[in-house]
Amino acid sequence: MPKNTLISLFAFFLLGLMPALEPAGAADAKKYQRTIEAYAIPDVVLVNQNGTKVRLREVLKSDKPIIVDFIFGTCTTICPILSVGYANLQQKLGANSRSVHLVSISIDPENDTPKVMRDYLKRYRAKPGWDFLTGSRSDIDKVMYAFNAYIPNKMSHYPLTLIRSPRDGKWIRIFGLLSSSEFMNECQKVGIR
Amino acid sequence: MTSRGMWRHGRSFVISLLVLIAAVGPQVCPAQNSAGSPAAEKIRLGEQMYREGILPSGEPLRAYVKGDIPVPGTAFSCVSCHLRSGLGSVEGGVFTPPTNGDKLFQPFQLLFKGLEQKYFPLPPRRPAYTDATLAEVIRSGATPTGGTLNDVMPRYLLEDEDMALLLSYLKGLSSHYSPGVSATTLHFATVITDEVSPEERTAMLAPLEQYIAIKNNQARAYRAPGNKSRQMAENMLVSKELATRTLTLSRWILKGSPETWRKQLEEYNRKDPVFALLGGVSSGEWKPIHDFSEANRIPCLFPITNLPVISETDWYTLYPSKGYYQEGEAAARYLHTDGVLPQGAAVVQIVRDSPEGRALAAGFRQTWLDSGNGAPLTVLLKAGQTVTKEILRKATGKKNVAVVMVWDGPECVPALQSLVTAGKRPLSLFVSARYLGEKLWTLPEQIRPFTYISYPYTFALSVTYSAMGNAKLQEDQRQALGQADVTIKNHAQEIASLDTTLTQIVTMALMDLRGNYYRDNFFDVIGMIADQPSSVFGRLSFGPGQRYASKGCYIVQLTKGPRPELVKKSGWVIH
Ligand code: HEC
Repeated sequence: MPKNTLISLFAFFLLGLMPALEPAGAADAKKYQRTIEAYAIPDVVLVNQNGTKVRLREVLKSDKPIIVDFIFGTCTTICPILSVGYANLQQKLGANSRSVHLVSISIDPENDTPKVMRDYLKRYRAKPGWDFLTGSRSDIDKVMYAFNAYIPNKMSHYPLTLIRSPRDGKWIRIFGLLSSSEFMNECQKVGIR
Repeated sequence: MTSRGMWRHGRSFVISLLVLIAAVGPQVCPAQNSAGSPAAEKIRLGEQMYREGILPSGEPLRAYVKGDIPVPGTAFSCVSCHLRSGLGSVEGGVFTPPTNGDKLFQPFQLLFKGLEQKYFPLPPRRPAYTDATLAEVIRSGATPTGGTLNDVMPRYLLEDEDMALLLSYLKGLSSHYSPGVSATTLHFATVITDEVSPEERTAMLAPLEQYIAIKNNQARAYRAPGNKSRQMAENMLVSKELATRTLTLSRWILKGSPETWRKQLEEYNRKDPVFALLGGVSSGEWKPIHDFSEANRIPCLFPITNLPVISETDWYTLYPSKGYYQEGEAAARYLHTDGVLPQGAAVVQIVRDSPEGRALAAGFRQTWLDSGNGAPLTVLLKAGQTVTKEILRKATGKKNVAVVMVWDGPECVPALQSLVTAGKRPLSLFVSARYLGEKLWTLPEQIRPFTYISYPYTFALSVTYSAMGNAKLQEDQRQALGQADVTIKNHAQEIASLDTTLTQIVTMALMDLRGNYYRDNFFDVIGMIADQPSSVFGRLSFGPGQRYASKGCYIVQLTKGPRPELVKKSGWVIH
């Protein structure tokens, strides 16, 4: 390994990495960060698990509550937990599963083809009302930027859940992993029950 | 160094710091259990619980995560978090500790003192697990020190017999270093098949052998007392481990017909067992070597081949791309999404009966069917048979045929002219840039407006050998130019470039192994590395279980004139 790599590595380590580790502590303490945000949705066309093109602005302009997360098909640890939360919410809503629109957006759009996404949803026994969206890398980047969730690389992602209230179009932004009761609690605030 | 690269190194550094666990030198020579024996059956059942989340009864394991969320069936299992080798990971700020035999049954404590203790929260120390404390922690999360595990770790409801199977699997999991590892060396080999030209052999071997020489020199420098590099290495705790082992690389040359390769490989491996296969090159189908790797559980990283095995579940070969298959796939995705095909229109594939032709046709067919379309018609070209006006006329004359794929090499180009004159002109014609080679530039002018070409390379000026014409400079080309430092003019240079990328991947993987020399851990850590730039494919990406690093292929058209340009008709990845 060249010397300058070592030096930059060391410098980078001192400068940049402390914040990256915070979520670990947060998870330990069973705490998550919660803020209320307004987002401008970029006008991009994404593709869902059935290979159908969808305009994101239209998808997110619903009079139903909407929940958005960022995952990918081969992800370990975080995505399984987030997706199990979605699956569980659908389970609890039973026949009402369509009363909320669950949206998972791929952060590995080149690997997440409609087929990969279909298989993923099947594994979590997803019911209608949960869509997995992919697209071109540049469009996905735009979406991540818009939600203040941009990461240059999928392996450096973090758990984020965004819940949109149909009442005012504002978003509850949750950083961290939620338990089922915490998740239900947040859902109830936007009228999901 | 790019900022991506820097992030990458920074992250792996942290991982390494977080996981500085005392390691007792494990003994080699794992207990061999012949398949079908009761012991092997026990391991199989344990593995099924660990990897698939399925109990011996066939029922899914029952579990709860985050305190109260029941896990639906087999949505995920131990392997999803602790990975195949059991060495765990750090992802999204969640630290997943090792659950392998070597680590669980010894105390979890720190080996090195230094920076990491000042800056990073570390997993709690604990004594060695016993069967009883391990069963307890898996069931209730209660740790041997009286604490409770973070609730990201599910709680598993397991009967005693099932628990016993799982525990015995964990005991054997990554408990002895893999073959090819000794106290002083880490041994690799590279596979070369006999027909590969000396020029292409050198292109593959040179970057790899040079890399190994440099690595070993650095290790020697580290071992020399008082050396400045040693001080550097001291700060880089991870490389300390690497410095203790010399990397060695054997050449496994395969001679004769592919049916005999497997036997030759087994013989090489018996005499000279390796930790993993690096690179390698063949112009034939990689299947015999793939099957060898799979059967012996030997990772094979980045073999240079355009004829890989296409599988969603095989684990032990990581290819640069799907090769020809990927081009057929791109043609199908383009045709499916662009929506110009009239209702009820049929597609006919004229296929050279060669590995290349068959791979192109298989990629198209599978993807076309997966998108919900009817099977394409196929016309097979036997050895010695060339595409003629007559063959084309017959193909396009079939009922409802609107699209023709000609999956053939350069010799088909002259006949394609007849598509303009003979009978019914198809709506579109698809051909492969890689298979046509330089003849691509001689496609008859009149067919260019309806000819679509699968082009599997980055659309950068730096790739010139198959693009003797000028490509139009667009935004992503400029980006690719920034990344690419090699100008590729021929196949040997393509090989050399891919091989240089391979050495970068190996560098990161060796650091991330953190001294845990288990073959499965090698691919586990590669599954976690950041995307890499490539002068050939633009961008290579990895991920747990992902086995083809280049994900894209353009569909392009050729402009008119004697020095035509490529014009993109699609994005790099078509959904
Ligand atoms: C959703 C991710 C996930 C899954 C699935 C999972 N684990 Fe874990 N496991 C973790 C995390 C995270 C920890 C660390 C918790 C902590 O730091 O308190 C852990 C801790 C452990 C520990 C304690 C290790 C130690 O050093 O104390 C054991 C043992 C373990 N897991 C075994 C298993 C087994 C066996 C399975 C499958 C039956 C499994 N895990 C499934 C995430 C997971």
